Amino acid sequence: MEEIFVPALGMAMDNVVLLEWLKQPGDQVNAGDIIAVIETDKTTLELTSETSGVLGKHKYAVEDEVPAGDTLCVVLAPGEVEA
Amino acid sequence: MSIPDKATSLALLREMMVIRDFEETADKLSLRGKVSGGMHNSSGQEAVAVGVLSALDKFDVIASTHRSHHHTLAKGFTPREIMAELFTRATGISGGRGASMHLGDVERGHFGGNGIVGAGVGIAMGAALGIQQKGDKKVSVGFVGDGGMNTGRTWEAINMAVIWKLPLIVIVDNNQYAVETFVGRVTGGGDLAKRAEGFGMKAFNIDGMDVLEVRKYTSEARARALAGEGPTFINALTYRYYGHNVGEKGQYRTLEEIEQWRTTKDPIDRFIKVVLDAGYASQAEVDELRASVRAEIEDAVAFADSSPEPDVSTIYDDVDSGMLGVQL
Ligand SMILES: Cc1ncc(C[n+]2csc(CCOP(=O)(O)OP(=O)(O)O)c2C)c(N)n1
Ligand SMILES: [Mg+2]
Repeated sequence: MEEIFVPALGMAMDNVVLLEWLKQPGDQVNAGDIIAVIETDKTTLELTSETSGVLGKHKYAVEDEVPAGDTLCVVLAPGEVEA
Repeated sequence: MSIPDKATSLALLREMMVIRDFEETADKLSLRGKVSGGMHNSSGQEAVAVGVLSALDKFDVIASTHRSHHHTLAKGFTPREIMAELFTRATGISGGRGASMHLGDVERGHFGGNGIVGAGVGIAMGAALGIQQKGDKKVSVGFVGDGGMNTGRTWEAINMAVIWKLPLIVIVDNNQYAVETFVGRVTGGGDLAKRAEGFGMKAFNIDGMDVLEVRKYTSEARARALAGEGPTFINALTYRYYGHNVGEKGQYRTLEEIEQWRTTKDPIDRFIKVVLDAGYASQAEVDELRASVRAEIEDAVAFADSSPEPDVSTIYDDVDSGMLGVQL
């Protein structure tokens, strides 16, 4: 199971907003696919999956503020179920 | 090259494994926001740190750089106290005030990491002058990156060490990049050891992915320094596996280049082969060693996570030597 999360990349990561979901729960995901787009004070960032599998639940909705370090969703490997 | 005895060899291997596991673990935690201010991952550069520090005496002095976890671990500081510092907890080496770039403890011969590129050699030169003045039987080691090789202060310090024959060893932890700048593009003359030779010192370009080679050259440099023969310059060629700082994924080098270094030159893989060939351990014993390292780093994370933040009432501690009488 891979967690897709908002990386803490600098000191000014206070206001991260979820801009867009590119994958829906249950979608097939391939390694390298963009899962979500977030916006920080400085830039927009595409979050990609490193592994292939099936997308789990969205833990945040578009326009939500997300604390740096928090998980947005998981990518489930074959046979895995979400907790 | 002659191989040290079994206990020493296994200790070298274990220390490199500790550094790798520590760095990869801390990198992940940093992305999760656990490490205030981020950090610089030294994965790939283990042989430089362990080769140098294993050739030194406990009382020898080091001064490090902004990328200092590997030097600090190899100097004998524990994963617990370093991880706690990264988490800015009261139990960290610097009491939680310094985070990743300010690991150090003068009492234990570590004159600190710092955020100023090229500063480490100057600090170590000052310590070497102090050692000489006091007539102590020890040496001082200044670490510097390839980027720091093109700052003026580094060479001012080296020049002083040469003219005063100071017991200084300069180690270039040459991971070939200064953020996104490739060393080959910015090194006038192309050969760092030749540059240092121009200052009138013994200077070597060595394989920084070979722990035994680094250890040998450092050991010889130390013997010369103790014999009053002055400083030595060692340019150890190595490679940084991760971005310059956590989360940095630059476009300045190819994934193939990284893969090439990791798969053909990795200092841990290479030394495991040496240990296996010498009959010092079986593959199963190497696996056990790795598992024991994993447990130690997990313990360090748990320790850091459960440690308290520094108390606000201590905010003025360590601001001055006590002579100014600053009080809250
Ligand atoms: C005097 C100074 N100039 C610039 C910087 C910004 N900076 C931080 S690290 C770095 C690159 C240093 O490269 P190198 O010396 O090769 O060390 P490495 O990061 O590879 O370990 C730079 C330019 C700084 N911290 N200090
Ligand atoms: Mg460098």
